[in-house]
Amino acid sequence: MNLEALPWLILFLPLLAATVIPLFTLRCRTTSALLSIGAIVTGFVLTVVFIANNGWTPTPSELTTNWLSIGNLNIDFGLKLDALSLMMMLIVTGVGGAIHIYSFGYMREDRGFSRFFACLSLFTFSMLGIVLANNFIQLFIFWELVGVSSYLLIGFWFEKPSAADAAKKAFFTNRLGDFGFLLGILVVWTALGSLNFSTLQQTLIANPAALGTIASIAGLLIFCGAMGKSAQFPLHVWLPDAMEGPTPVSALIHAATMVAAGVYMLCRIIFLLDPTALHVIAWIGGFTALLSALIAIQQNDIKRILAYSTLSQLGYMVMAVGLSGPTPAMFHLTTHAFFKALLFLGAGSVIIALHHEQDIWKMGGLRKKMPVTFWTFLIGALALCGVPPFSGFYSKDAILAQAWHTHNYPLFAVAAFVAVLTTFYMFRLFFVAFVGEPKTKEASHAHESPGVMIWPLRLLAVFALVGGFIGISNIILKHYFDSGLIKFTPLSYRTWETYVSDDPSSPYWLNYFNGLLDSGLRFLFKIPMMHKILEPFLDSPAASFIGLGAVAIGFILARSLYRNAASDPLPAKLGGFATAMKNRFYFDEIYEATFIRAHDFIATVMDWIDRWLVDWGGIGLVRGGTDFSGRALRLMQTGNLQTYAFLFALGVAVVLWFVLGK
Amino acid sequence: MSILTYILGWPLLAAVALVFVPRNYRVIIRAVAVLATFISMLLAVKMFCQFVTGHAGYQFEQQIPWVESLGISYHVGVDGLNVGLILMGAIVAFAAACCSFEIQSREKEFYILLLVMTGGILGAFASLDLFFFYFLHELALVPTFIMIGVWGRGERKNYATFQITLYLSIGALIALIGLIALYLQVPADLRTAGKIGFDIPKLTEFFRNNPMAGGAQNFIFPLLLLGFGILVSLWPFHTWAPLGYGSAPSPTAMLHAGVLKKFGLYGLIRIALPLMPQAAQHWMQILAWLCLGNILYVGWVAMRQRNLNLLIGNSSVAHMGFIFLGIASLNLIGVTGAVIIMIAHGFLAALSFGLSGYIYQQTGTLEMGELGGLARKLPFVGPALLMAALAGCGLPGFANFVGEVTVFFGAWKVFPVVTGLALWGALMISALYMLRAMRNVLHGPLPEKWSGIPDASNVWRKLPYALLLASLLVFGCFPRLLTEKITPDAEKIVKMVTENVGGLVAGDASSRGRESAPSKQSDSQRRLTSAATEPK
Repeated sequence: MNLEALPWLILFLPLLAATVIPLFTLRCRTTSALLSIGAIVTGFVLTVVFIANNGWTPTPSELTTNWLSIGNLNIDFGLKLDALSLMMMLIVTGVGGAIHIYSFGYMREDRGFSRFFACLSLFTFSMLGIVLANNFIQLFIFWELVGVSSYLLIGFWFEKPSAADAAKKAFFTNRLGDFGFLLGILVVWTALGSLNFSTLQQTLIANPAALGTIASIAGLLIFCGAMGKSAQFPLHVWLPDAMEGPTPVSALIHAATMVAAGVYMLCRIIFLLDPTALHVIAWIGGFTALLSALIAIQQNDIKRILAYSTLSQLGYMVMAVGLSGPTPAMFHLTTHAFFKALLFLGAGSVIIALHHEQDIWKMGGLRKKMPVTFWTFLIGALALCGVPPFSGFYSKDAILAQAWHTHNYPLFAVAAFVAVLTTFYMFRLFFVAFVGEPKTKEASHAHESPGVMIWPLRLLAVFALVGGFIGISNIILKHYFDSGLIKFTPLSYRTWETYVSDDPSSPYWLNYFNGLLDSGLRFLFKIPMMHKILEPFLDSPAASFIGLGAVAIGFILARSLYRNAASDPLPAKLGGFATAMKNRFYFDEIYEATFIRAHDFIATVMDWIDRWLVDWGGIGLVRGGTDFSGRALRLMQTGNLQTYAFLFALGVAVVLWFVLGK
Repeated sequence: MSILTYILGWPLLAAVALVFVPRNYRVIIRAVAVLATFISMLLAVKMFCQFVTGHAGYQFEQQIPWVESLGISYHVGVDGLNVGLILMGAIVAFAAACCSFEIQSREKEFYILLLVMTGGILGAFASLDLFFFYFLHELALVPTFIMIGVWGRGERKNYATFQITLYLSIGALIALIGLIALYLQVPADLRTAGKIGFDIPKLTEFFRNNPMAGGAQNFIFPLLLLGFGILVSLWPFHTWAPLGYGSAPSPTAMLHAGVLKKFGLYGLIRIALPLMPQAAQHWMQILAWLCLGNILYVGWVAMRQRNLNLLIGNSSVAHMGFIFLGIASLNLIGVTGAVIIMIAHGFLAALSFGLSGYIYQQTGTLEMGELGGLARKLPFVGPALLMAALAGCGLPGFANFVGEVTVFFGAWKVFPVVTGLALWGALMISALYMLRAMRNVLHGPLPEKWSGIPDASNVWRKLPYALLLASLLVFGCFPRLLTEKITPDAEKIVKMVTENVGGLVAGDASSRGRESAPSKQSDSQRRLTSAATEPK
């Protein structure tokens, strides 16, 4: 079966929910929620059915209709179906579905319940649109729609000034990235004459120099879009503020899916990026990862810590793309979607239990009170830190290995250091918020959340645990290998071949571990999945062991400082640097003082010109001049006969002088 | 009788009928006005659906000779350029009539003026005769001044009335001089009925074959550009617009900003570009930079506004910049984009002014400092206003996005620097002022004094806004509804501008024209012979 209608259905079901809810069911809260949840869960089921029937590389791989056609400007509305987009659809509908169900419990007392689900469905539709887009303009359209659904959801509690401001800020910052993005699209279209990804890819594979000298600029302009959406430095400032939205929104949009859109887009258009652009992208990613991990260390709001952690992980992914490793980037995107959504939902469970308390120094001792939340949160934290066999270990290791294999040792060092910091801030959060004695009365009276919130946690915890070794990376790797885009480093290519063929007697790793580990490994590999679990150690042992070491250092530091700590000991030790971290290195203040102020200043000047020069000066002078000449001329029409006679005589005299005098 | 005659005839007829209705029959007066615009709208929708795409020449044509010695005749017809504009105008007119609830004094006079304005502007867009084209526009323009003067609001009402009257009269006058000069370029023996006269298709045909002398082009084109430019609030002749709209009653602002203002742009595309290609090529370089005045400068001015209506007025001026940029690019993509924005902005301006009018009616103020948190109390008007603001900053899904992005694609090759800066205006500056306004009006805590403010609850109150929003969404999601109609005729205009530039020697150009476009030639011949009969 081909099932061509399914992808359209999957895409448009959430839109249907998003239109029906505000038009008809705004007052029926449960109906609205069920519509929205039904749309996304059906989407998930249909995606699974589609993949089961067509595999990861369906034919045809594109479904297209014409959307707009003027002269040589042809814009299609199409769906691109390949391993990349199908994988993302599973994430968006799967993780998204879990979060939708969780929201049913989390938001049940809010008076904007129906509106919330309408916005969630609008978001799901836009996100699926990004995932399925087969051309740049369609991508841009859904890109903007995702931006606006994020605006609506961050500002969901719009009566709170901080939420309203955060929504505005997120939209502006994203728009700043989109400015570069659209400019990049214009450049690419002018140079290559097409907007369709497949056509562009074929053009560039046939003639790699087709973009000419502007290749790097075009690539970096398009990267601007990803910088906005995936909150990369210097456009990272909106994401922490976005935590003003309800917690399920933070989990769905600002951790699992929307912020990953930038990374997904880069993986989609990686054929456009030339080595210079990739180099810049890698360093921006690495720097973002480092910067936000440092900031996360000194935050006290549980959601903000997770937000900066998201930034840092996104930095990892962007760095991986920059190291021409879309596979590790997409792999980390997937596992990150599982464990970060889990962490946010766990945080939401805690926040609700403590009556909207978000300060970790007012929590503590939640292990007995909220066991499910506690254990699932721990799984999420371990996955984030990269402890084997949790999923995060595999994807993070793939990124470290990518840096190692491409011989980019400075970035490898950055990534390893960030791994130390990640473990440190996560276990700081964990020790302070979950372990030890309750620090407030609310914390001691906390109780576990209802089942509708707990079950999504359990589900996500399973995936956060096993997501690393169930073959996700192979599907993505195969996609890039088939499309001929990626020239693999021989090592990882052979590894992949080895393990796909599932032949433990292949010569490569036997040579590598020359007999010492041989017998032990042979025994281990008798256990199902074990070769997948141990794959990183065989593929790139250096990266794996350094990564593990980083986790160990981070954990020991966090344990020694924060176990049973009543207040943060770090500011005393670090002094001014800790203050800078706490204040997010003053980026918000810098932007406020430069970008916004500059616009306001220009606006003031322009307004002044408009008011006083154009309006008062220009028009005023014309009016005043007319007025004045009117008054002057009035003096001549006095109605006084003598005056007229005098003027008449004067006129005659002047005429006579002209005629006779010369 | 052409359907077009009915579309513009119903409102005018209703205006005449209202003269005989006693002034205290308020319900009847209102019902007549709403009904007339409603019929007119239905007919316009019918016409839009019946329009045959790809049909060469004009459709729904009708011609009745009037002053034969001067060659003036009543001649209406549509092609891809004005079919969407007439549809937009008719929908906005109906919405404006519905929104006239807010008029509480001298209703009779107000509705008569509104209907005259509607009929006039729809007629101007439908007209294929230069005389009626101008005359019907003036017929629509004059009521604007009276409406602002009598039913306007705010302290600066009188100043605004003076300013808008003077500006627009001068603009119209300059355009008139240009149009008369244009008419005089036709040889005297051809200026009578049945030959060329004031007939726009025949004028176009004539000047295609006998290009106008360079000197005449260089004299007439600037006059038209300046005259039409002032009517469209081209920078730096824009200050009348925000103040005028800020002081106008909202139905007037809806009709003027939405529909009437597009007259100048339509005139530029329909008349100035094809008849004076050489001058157009020259002046478009300047226009491209002037449009940045609209997009950036006025955008920044909009950022400083503290009154919602002044902000919407300024943003409406800023949007004109994108249309000018599309026209200035002088290629198919750009001109098509310009026509799309003309239609999209018509809906958008009407929607924004209609909604701000509703808020003004309920609160008595549009100072953003005094408003706030209204989204909670206005579950219909609030989201609608938010959607209008998002459409105003070019959000996909709304028709404005299609137009703007098309204009950028068209202009990018010709004016990369200007397009880049315009892109900044479209994506950043508009978002800055629109979202700030929404933050101040809809979001944040609700001041105590607005806790009793009612939402638009009955269907008649919601209908105009819903209709305008739906139009924006339909054309935004299915742009081919418009582009398929616009593209063939925009292509003709662009061809005339780009092809006729070199051939200033009359004979040479005409022979070249005949060779290159035989089908067009025969088609226009057919049109010349069958001009007086109406195709059915």
